[in-house]
Amino acid sequence: MLPYLLISGLTSGALYAMVAIGLVVVYRSTGHINFAHGELFMMGGFFAYSMITLLGFPYLLSLVLAVVLSFVLGVISDRVVFRPLMKAPGTTIVLATVGFSYLLKGISRYVWGGKGEYLSIKAIVDPAPFFIWGMPVLPQQLVVLGAAILCMLAFVAFFRWTKAGKMMQATAESAFACYLVGIRVERVYTWTWGAGAAVAGAAAVLMAPLTLLTPDIGSGLLIKAFAATILGGLGSMGGAVVGGLVVGVMESLAGGYIDSSLQEVAAFVIIMVVLVFRPSGLFGAYGVRRA
Amino acid sequence: MGRHTISAAALALGLVVGAVQPSLAEVGVTDTEILIGALGVLTGPLYNNGKTIYDGVETVYNEVNAAGGINGRKIRYVREDDACKPEQAVPAVKKLIFEHKVFMIHGGACSNASLAAMPDIVKAQIPWVITASTAPQLTDPVNPRIFTTMLAGWMETAGQLQRLIDTGAKKIAIVRQRDAWAESRYKPLLDSFAQAGLKPVLDEEISADPADATAVALKLQAAGVDGIVAVLFPKAATVLIRDTYKIGYKPLIVGGSAIGDVKAMDQAIGIKGALDHFQALSPTKAAGDPSMAGWKAKVKKYYPQDEFQTWHMFGIASATFMVEGLKRAGRDLTRDSLVKALQDLSVNSDAYAGPITCRPDNHQCYRSMAWFSYINGDIKEMGTTHLK
Repeated sequence: MLPYLLISGLTSGALYAMVAIGLVVVYRSTGHINFAHGELFMMGGFFAYSMITLLGFPYLLSLVLAVVLSFVLGVISDRVVFRPLMKAPGTTIVLATVGFSYLLKGISRYVWGGKGEYLSIKAIVDPAPFFIWGMPVLPQQLVVLGAAILCMLAFVAFFRWTKAGKMMQATAESAFACYLVGIRVERVYTWTWGAGAAVAGAAAVLMAPLTLLTPDIGSGLLIKAFAATILGGLGSMGGAVVGGLVVGVMESLAGGYIDSSLQEVAAFVIIMVVLVFRPSGLFGAYGVRRA
Repeated sequence: MGRHTISAAALALGLVVGAVQPSLAEVGVTDTEILIGALGVLTGPLYNNGKTIYDGVETVYNEVNAAGGINGRKIRYVREDDACKPEQAVPAVKKLIFEHKVFMIHGGACSNASLAAMPDIVKAQIPWVITASTAPQLTDPVNPRIFTTMLAGWMETAGQLQRLIDTGAKKIAIVRQRDAWAESRYKPLLDSFAQAGLKPVLDEEISADPADATAVALKLQAAGVDGIVAVLFPKAATVLIRDTYKIGYKPLIVGGSAIGDVKAMDQAIGIKGALDHFQALSPTKAAGDPSMAGWKAKVKKYYPQDEFQTWHMFGIASATFMVEGLKRAGRDLTRDSLVKALQDLSVNSDAYAGPITCRPDNHQCYRSMAWFSYINGDIKEMGTTHLK
């Protein structure tokens, strides 16, 4: 049973990693955890549902449009919710993200509610399982795993080698210092919230065939992704992916070998254990100092 | 005209008016309107389970109103949200009783919320017809003013277990989600196992909102389970069925009324044959049953955003029963006359698989269930069970 559980855990973990990457993108640029990230993911899924199922658009076009719409939603959220609070204490912004998450849930219920217990979109690949060394895998799970790794590599490169990426990280280090050297911090934040939402949108399109869509899907995934970022080291892109995979495997093993009721608890246990014994996570925290 | 004559005339006029409009004295009833309150989940993760039921109820009431109403009165249906939470159910029901001043309550989708609201409803002596809450203690022992048009929780799980036994399953397991709804069915299910002289081979829990159920599927497979009583909502059931199929494991999975929409599950899984080993129980006929075509169009007329679901059918059946009860209570409508009419009423609705029949000594008025399978792209009704 062990190999099955490992494969199952890794494929679930890829989902968490994909969501965790979006959390890290925003954290590395703003120094804040976006607690509305799960709901941005959910909105991206509903955008894709509208285009694929309701409007009949091709999958790839829908993917692109869902990412674009999610980016726009991220930008709007910056202008409407976060920009007015830019100079407020961190806790205020965190609370604003929580409030924004509820607003998005309400909007999704209003717009997409009443259509069923949950909604689904077709997988980009054949949904039937295939076997790797005798172990069954859903092709869409491999798509998500591949996308998570690609996203991670792309953002690592972006933050390391591009001017925009360096500016984003600099604003998280010290917004005040960035002002002094002429960086337009407001614009950086706008792009950051937009980029975070765009990652959430991309993740949603790829993951929705596996997770299915409900207005409440975001909060559960956010907890898992948060556990992944804490485990990997808050702010570490690679850590988010490794953390996501470890959370997935831990869940799977707990459910398989201890008790199925512990499967959902695993993420919370990981958060507590890491915070107590290794607060910097596996790959060390990305340091954030506010001016 | 002498003083006595005027007094007598006034008295006579008063008696005549009183005779014609006695219901003016009844709370929530005017000469032209009956105010009915809905208590149910309208927000939160389970909002669909409430909203769509009340859309079904109100579709029936709208149609009745459009045809002139009942005994000269039109029905106004006001909804209050209990969010499926006991702490929100209490203020919601108080608002219906004391602020809206409703004649009766027609609703209730979540058992835990309905149980919390029950003391206020009992104290106010308001008739209550429950649309979907399944906790048996709401109607057993009998309260003279509380009726349910939904299967009680124990009836469904007893039926699910019986179905597995009837189909020859030898090693039967339970897979349930972790919430009050599943918990209310769990103990009666264990009682049903005991009555059948059986013990569940495995007893597994999964989240109501899982992304993966492979670990549970592997444990069930390793234990040789050949029949599963699924005490799950659609999303959890869909993931469980997908992941059992994924590992090539094919036990018979029997679900309850909450997962009666097998076509939606097939679309969500998207894998041909994945639902071959799943059967769902439903109080309703299939949503695609020809007899529902008219109702489907009517729901669409009033709620264009809604996709027609079995939840609507719960509401349609319950409201059909209510309308007949209100008709029989007559123009002199009081809470007492309604209760008298309801407690000896049997109604066949278009939506349900059997009649809704209330008796003075039994207010759990619905006891029929249909079995559905999804074979080769078609929903097939496999039969109907009528519990005694």
